[in-house]
Order: sequence, then C-alpha cells, then structure tokens
Amino acid sequence: MSDLIRAPGEARRRRPADGHGDAAGTAAARAHARARPARARSGRWTAWAFLAPVLAYLVLFYAYPLYRNLDLSLRNYTVRSFVRGGAPFTGAKNYTTVVHDPIFVPALVHTMVFTLVSLAFQFTIGMGLAVFFSRHFRLSATLRALFLVPWLLPLIVSASTWSWMLNSDSGVVNAMLHRLGIGPVNWLTSPQWSLTSVIIANIWIGVPFNLVVLYSGLQTIPVSLYEAAALDGANGWQRFWRVTFPLLRPVSAITLLLGLIYTLKVFDIIWIMTRGGPAGSSTTFATWSYRLGFGTLLPSFGPGAAVGNLLIVIALVFGLLYVRLQRRRQSI
Amino acid sequence: MRTRPLWRHVAGLGLVAAVLSGGVAGCASSDDGAGSRSGSGTYTIWDPYPQFDKGSAWARLLDRCGGDAGVTVRRTGFDTTDLTTKALLAAQQGNAPDVLVVDNPVVSTLAEAGVLVPNDQARIVTSAIEPNLLGAGRVGGQTYGVPIGANTLALFYNKAVLKSAGVDAASVRDWASLTTALAKITAAGKKGITFSAIGTEEGSFQFLPWFWGAGAQLTRLDSPAGVAALSLWTGWLRKGYAPNSVLNNTQTTSWQEFATGRYAFGENGTWQLANAERVGFDYGIIPIPAEHGGTAPAPTGGEFVTVPVQRKTSRYATSEKLVACLTNTGNLYTTDRTLSYVAPTGVVQAKQVASEPGLKVWVDAVRAAKARTGDGLGTKYPKISQPMWTAVQAALSGSKPPQAALSAAQSAAAAATR
Amino acid sequence: MTGRATWWKTAIGLVLTALMLFPVYWMINVSFTRDRDMRKSPPDWFPVHGTVAGYRAVVDQQLPHLGTSLFIGAGTVVLTLLVSAPAGYSMAKLRPRGAGVLGFVLLIAQMVPGIIMAMGFYSIYLSLGVLDNPVGLVVADSTIAVPFGVLVFAAFMTGIPDELLQAATIDGAGRLRIFWSIVLPVSRNAIVTVSLFSFLWAWSDFVFASTLDGGGDRRPITLGIYHYIGNNDQQWNAIMATAVVASIPATALLIIAQRYVAAGVTAGAVKD
Repeated sequence: MSDLIRAPGEARRRRPADGHGDAAGTAAARAHARARPARARSGRWTAWAFLAPVLAYLVLFYAYPLYRNLDLSLRNYTVRSFVRGGAPFTGAKNYTTVVHDPIFVPALVHTMVFTLVSLAFQFTIGMGLAVFFSRHFRLSATLRALFLVPWLLPLIVSASTWSWMLNSDSGVVNAMLHRLGIGPVNWLTSPQWSLTSVIIANIWIGVPFNLVVLYSGLQTIPVSLYEAAALDGANGWQRFWRVTFPLLRPVSAITLLLGLIYTLKVFDIIWIMTRGGPAGSSTTFATWSYRLGFGTLLPSFGPGAAVGNLLIVIALVFGLLYVRLQRRRQSI
Repeated sequence: MRTRPLWRHVAGLGLVAAVLSGGVAGCASSDDGAGSRSGSGTYTIWDPYPQFDKGSAWARLLDRCGGDAGVTVRRTGFDTTDLTTKALLAAQQGNAPDVLVVDNPVVSTLAEAGVLVPNDQARIVTSAIEPNLLGAGRVGGQTYGVPIGANTLALFYNKAVLKSAGVDAASVRDWASLTTALAKITAAGKKGITFSAIGTEEGSFQFLPWFWGAGAQLTRLDSPAGVAALSLWTGWLRKGYAPNSVLNNTQTTSWQEFATGRYAFGENGTWQLANAERVGFDYGIIPIPAEHGGTAPAPTGGEFVTVPVQRKTSRYATSEKLVACLTNTGNLYTTDRTLSYVAPTGVVQAKQVASEPGLKVWVDAVRAAKARTGDGLGTKYPKISQPMWTAVQAALSGSKPPQAALSAAQSAAAAATR
Repeated sequence: MTGRATWWKTAIGLVLTALMLFPVYWMINVSFTRDRDMRKSPPDWFPVHGTVAGYRAVVDQQLPHLGTSLFIGAGTVVLTLLVSAPAGYSMAKLRPRGAGVLGFVLLIAQMVPGIIMAMGFYSIYLSLGVLDNPVGLVVADSTIAVPFGVLVFAAFMTGIPDELLQAATIDGAGRLRIFWSIVLPVSRNAIVTVSLFSFLWAWSDFVFASTLDGGGDRRPITLGIYHYIGNNDQQWNAIMATAVVASIPATALLIIAQRYVAAGVTAGAVKD
C-alpha cells in the first residue's frame, strides 16, 4: 500500500478517544486550547453560541412531548382524566401490565427482526448503489434523483400501493408468481408471511435514504486516493475495502444509527399494510403502541405511552452501544 | 391538574418560538384558538366529512342553520379517525367546538370523558328519533346527541352471477341456504362472497351481523352461537367461497372486489348505494340472514350531532338551535340523501322510501339494527370489540380454530372490562 | 472511461431504477383505473379501460395547494439549515463540554413517536391560535429534520482536516468567519443531503399536516388525499392521482437539483 492510502488512516489514529467518535477534535487543537486558557473560555462560549439554536429547539419542541409521554406512562389515565386531569400516579404499573401482556415477547422479537433485517438490507443495497452511482455515467444524476421519488409520496400512499401489489387475490406480485407457475402466497394475510412482507416494503422505503447519505459521503473522498490505489495495482474490491470503507466509517456509522432509529419507530407502513396482524404476527412495539393509544375507539393512553417509552429505551441501548464502539475504534 | 402550570410555561415558550419564526405572532395575541370562537357571534362545528368542501350542500346547510340562529358558523371537516383524539385534546385545552358531529360508537367514549353535554341540559329533544338508533348515545341513564342519519350492512348481490349459477336470491333465507348458494356459485366457476375482516373496528362491524344473527351476546364471545358465526366465516374461507384477501379488506377494498363483477355477494353498507349505480351491472340487495332465518340484527353506523361542554353554558341555547336545525325533517332528508344514509326518524324514512322504493330494504335493515355500544355496554364495547376482531383474524388466518380463538378473546375481554 | 463501459452502466442503472420505481408505476396505474377494475384478478398491467376521473377531480380541487407545499418545503429547508449547520460545526470542531450528551439527546429525541409530537404541537398551536398556518407547519416539519441535520453535519464536518481550520486561525480569522467561509463551502455535500431530506420530509409529511392543518385553505397538497377519504369509503384513483400530481413538480425539482449538485460537486473535487 502506498503512503497516500495509509495517510488518512494514520491521521485517524492520532485522534484521541474522547467519547464521541464522530465528532472528535484533534489532539493538536486540544493542546492549542490548553495553552491559552482565555482563548479556550471564549472558544467554549462560541461553541455554545453555535449550539444555541438547536438547544432552544430541543427545549421548545421536544421537552414537552417527551414529558407528556413520560407522564402518560406513569399515571392511570382514563379518557375522563385525560380531559379533566387528576389521573392517579401509578408508578410502573403500566409498564408491568405491558410486560406481562402475552403480545410482549412476540412484539419484541418482531421489532428486533424487523429492524435488524431491514437495516442490513437497506444499508447493503444503499452502499452498493452509492458505489455504483459514484462512477459517473450517462444519466447517472437523473437516475439517482429518480431513486428519491418514493420519498416524495406520503407513506399512506406508498404503503397502500404495497398492500395493493401484495394482495392475495388481485395483487400483481401473485399474478407474476402465477406466470412463473408458483401458487398464490398470502403475503399479508398469513401469519408466516406478514412480517416478511412489511420488511420488504420497509427496505424499499429505506434504500433511498442510505443511498443518498452514503453517496454524499463517497463524494468527500478525494479521487487522488483511488488513483494512487489503482497505481498500486489494487483491484476494485480491494479499493472498496481498503479505501472507501474505512474512510466512509463516520458517515456509515451515523447512517446506520439513524436508520436504526427510523426503523424502530416505523409504524405507518406496518399499520397500513397489515394492522400488525393477522393475529399479531407483524405487531412491533411501534404498532402496538399506536394500537393501544389510537387504534381502538377507546384509547388507553397509559400503556400506549409505556410501550413507546420502552422503544425509546431500546434506542438508548443501541445509542450507547454505538458510542462504545466508536470509542473502542478510536482507541485502537 | 398538575400538568397545567407546566403546560402554560411551554405554551409561553412556544409563543416566543412562534414570534421568532415570524409571521404567526399576529394571530397569537388574541385569545382564541382556530377551533374556537372568535366572538359570541361565531360558532364552531366539527364534522367527519372532509370530502365535503365549501360549496357542498352540507357546508351550505351549516351556514344556513347558523344564519337562522343569528350566528356565523365556522366549520372544519376532519378525518373520522382523527376526530376522537382531536376532540379529546381540544376539550383538554378548554377549546372544544360548539357542535361536534361524530361517529356513533365514539359518543359513549366522549360522554365518559365528560366532553359532551347531556341532552337534558342542552334541551335537545329526541322524541322523534327511532329508539334503537338513539341507543348509541345512551350512557349511564343519560342521552347524548342526536343521530343525523344511520347506515347499516346488507348483502349486495350480482344478478348476472346468481343467474348463471342458477341461484335465486329469494332462496337465501338463512345460513344453510346461503352456504348452499355459495357452493353452487363456486362450482359454476364464479366467486362467492366478499366481506371485510380486517383487524380494526371495521372487521368487528362486519362480523357483528353474523355474530348477533346466531343469537350470540357481546358479553360472552365464546358461546356456542359465537363459535357458530366464526365457524361459518372460517368454513367459507377454507372452501374457497370467500377470498383469502378478506383478512386484509377494508370495506372499500371489499366493495372494489364486488365491483369487479365476479363476486356473487358482497357484505357492505348503505353508503355504497351511489357507487353501486356506477358498477355497470345489475345488482340487488337482501338483508343479512340470521342463522335460522329472518333478518339478522346488523350494527348501526352513522354519526351523532352532539354538544360539547363549554365554559360559558349560555352558548348551549344557540348550539341547541343549530342541532335542531340540522336534525329537522326537511334538513335530515337532504343531508341523508347526500350521505346515502337512512334517516333516524320514521317520518323521514317514509319520505325516503316514497321517493326511492329501493331504499326499503335498507330502512328495514336499520329498523332491525342494534347499536354496538348499546345493551348497557358503553365504553366496554371497544374493549370487547378488539379481542373479537383479533379472534376473527386468528381463526380466518388458520392460526387458531374458532373455538380456541374466541375463548382467548373472551378471557382478554373479561380481563379488560373487569 | 470508454464509451462502451458507460453504456453498460447506464443500462444497469436503468434496470435498477425501473425495479425501484415499479411500485410508483403501480400507483400511477391505479390512479387511472376505474373503480370496477381496481381489484380485478389478475390485475391489468396497464390501465386498459383507463379513466381520468381521478385526475379531473384533483386538477379541479387540489392544484392551488401545490404552492403551499412548495412554501412549506422551502421554509423547512431554510429553517433546518439555519439551526443545524452551526450546531454540527460546533459539535464536530469546537467540542464544548457536554456536546456528546447533546448528540445523544438528539438521537433519543428522534425516537419520540411522530403522533405524540403532533399531539404536543396541536395542543400548543390550538392555544396560540396558529392552526391551519403554513408557518406553523414549517416549524413542525423542521423538527423531523433538525436532529438529523445536526448529526449529519457533525459526521461530515469531522472529516474536514483540522490543519485547514488551524491555518485560518493563524491567519486571524474568527470562528464565525471560519464557519462561514471555510467550513460551509467544504460541507457542500452535507448541505445538499440535509436540504434534500428536509425537503422530502416536509413535502411528504402527512401526520403533522393532518393534525395541524386539517381544514384550512392553505393546506399542503398531500392533505388533498383527505378529500377522497370519506367516513366509510375511499376513492382510490383520486387518492393515487393526488399523490402523482403532488410528486411531479417535486420530482422535476429533484432532477434539476441533482444535476446542478453533481456538477458543483465535481467542480469542487477538482479544485480540492
């Protein structure tokens, strides 16, 4: 390997482990700051000034809904006390109710399978397409833009379209299979297939996101590195694993993490396609929470919010895992 | 209420944000929300008819009723599934509309929440209304609101398909004769029956005529009668008399299947009458048969006009005038015509049948219909309905036999309503 | 690159795009289908007995709302960039104490279910009287994009060599100057990515729009769908037609933007 390729890796390694890998400062900058305390203090103020709008945003728009969700989950809300107030504080009771519900374990398993399988496919396909589209060819920009069209459609429309295509009797997918001599598959109406079907639709919806973010990440890698690698005789595969992949790590990590968070909370696609059924076979925490809170004529806000908060805890666990992994990678 | 002070606080911060983001500060200074009054002369009405816009007959009727009462009406049409949550949230903020038109099974929920004013207090008179339709508004000895119209379910049939299979629609009088007819039709290479068994309230709504038609009660889902009803549906699916897609069909999807012209029967509602004229084939309608003959009681659908609680109780007098105007004989007739509903009073029903004899079967079906939240169930109904549709889905998808599915549903419902 | 090689890639690209867009094609197909053919089995691959009834309804009733959608999309992009780009810079390069926690909180904030956020906004807007207002929707829609924006900016800006910024510091440039004239131009890719997604989210948003802008005259076009969702039945060809009509101008915009961006990026890469 030439020095040119090794260089960025070296630069990476020089960065200290400071807990948040995707946003690490350099040792040099630190030393610089320590040398001039006055400068550092003013620097801190500037730093927070840059962050101020986002802080205001978080406090204004996220604090209240989060607080509401927590409050809902810790009290015994009936529709009456929801309107009139005075719901008694019941501590963790909603949580124990939810955990002991027979749907809890299947919903947890479905949530994990749905999230991890969707994520694996979305990321792999997105990465493949990003690499493919980064070789500029005729129409590449236009085609790449067309890949975003699914995102322009409100989810109610795209999910309904999938539900249309996968219909057991009049769906185009079964019509296609029929031509190939395969009998009809009850995509949405059999407990064996429903989860697979919603995963397929969700992968379709998630690919553009991965493609665009990873593509932008690829654009920041200097062309000279590839040229140097090519001169060294590295083939396409080696260039991807030795140049692209390591340099794309921060962007990949954030793409995966964001993808995870968006996938965990997907409910519209599943809700529209299967309502979490049949017989709970595609119920995830997100659809379960929605069904408890809004899916029946009589909302049970407390348990609904409790399930929602459990989902937040799952995301928290993955978030911490991400931070840990980042830190470990940095310290090697 | 504990959340109140914090809520104010957040609203204050929100105001700052609104000012910062520009453009909205102007309206923020006045005390009224978009959904509320901006003066004593303006009354707000919420309804679940987003399909009707400003120029529609419904919107003009509201304006006219407002004019008669000497006030201006501000109307907002919401999607029906959003309306419950929005009404609850608005009531929580003390910002409920003056008149709320809402789906009938929701009335008991809203009444229980203390959102609605009982008819006694609002001085709403309901003497002309058919008692079975008023059932959905009866909660704890009080009645809330007036039905604006009713719909229910019946069986649409395709005349050509029945004829080609040699089946006479008049021969379908009970479950056995219906199943025999379906067998003949499928043997003739046609499709049997389509309905909606989706895992939502719609699924329960469509299952109830069969459930009640077997003599089952919502208080005991796993009675032999209940099991018989579910076994009937399951059997149809197993034998291919009904398509597998019913598991995921909304009532619209089910209608679209019937509209292809390949199905002999479709279970659907009064509201499809306008669409039925456009399908391009001859259709007929028969009531849903009970297990051993006669018309099965179907659940009532349709909306109630209600009066939500206001801080100023003096507003009720005008709200009552609006309600009375919307539900007087002449206006009921035109409104129910645009909505394809059956009127809630005997007088208007007679007028409807006189002008459109085809409506008679629907009027009969509505007379035989029952409110889902009736029988003193009220807000217990949703807690029974959900296990019920879950059981229907479990049995139809083959994950549980009907008996086991309903037993599980019964224990879930019993636990939830205890 | 030889012409032949590019040609092959274009062909593969076309096939992949066709596969990806098949559901979109199906939506278009349904939008032209008569009620009675919607559940035909097997389905028609082309709208053989097509109807434009859905489109007629949409063109009559929904076109004015395109402007509102554009306004909301553009407003969301601007607001998101204004809030998230400085924050991303601060987190990536200035690293104040507590920035890691903030990043974590941003991640968690995105887990709040959209419907809960919408309920919160509804309560606030109802009391302030700003329901049915496109500006209110811009603020609400930007909450989806801001945490995303901050994290993406932070991830991209981490990659900017510190030597570049230090050189500027030595030259006496202030933080704001550095941010404006060095960091932002170099982060063009991140800006494009964040703008794209905030626009897409705002354009296709349904939850916030339906909660906060139910019956207003100045509502986004996606809400036009509601016009065809009745209490008991839905006019699917009109719903799909609304979606098609709503996505045409936005698609055109995307293609133009992508062209421009691709050109800009290549030019930038050469300069670097």
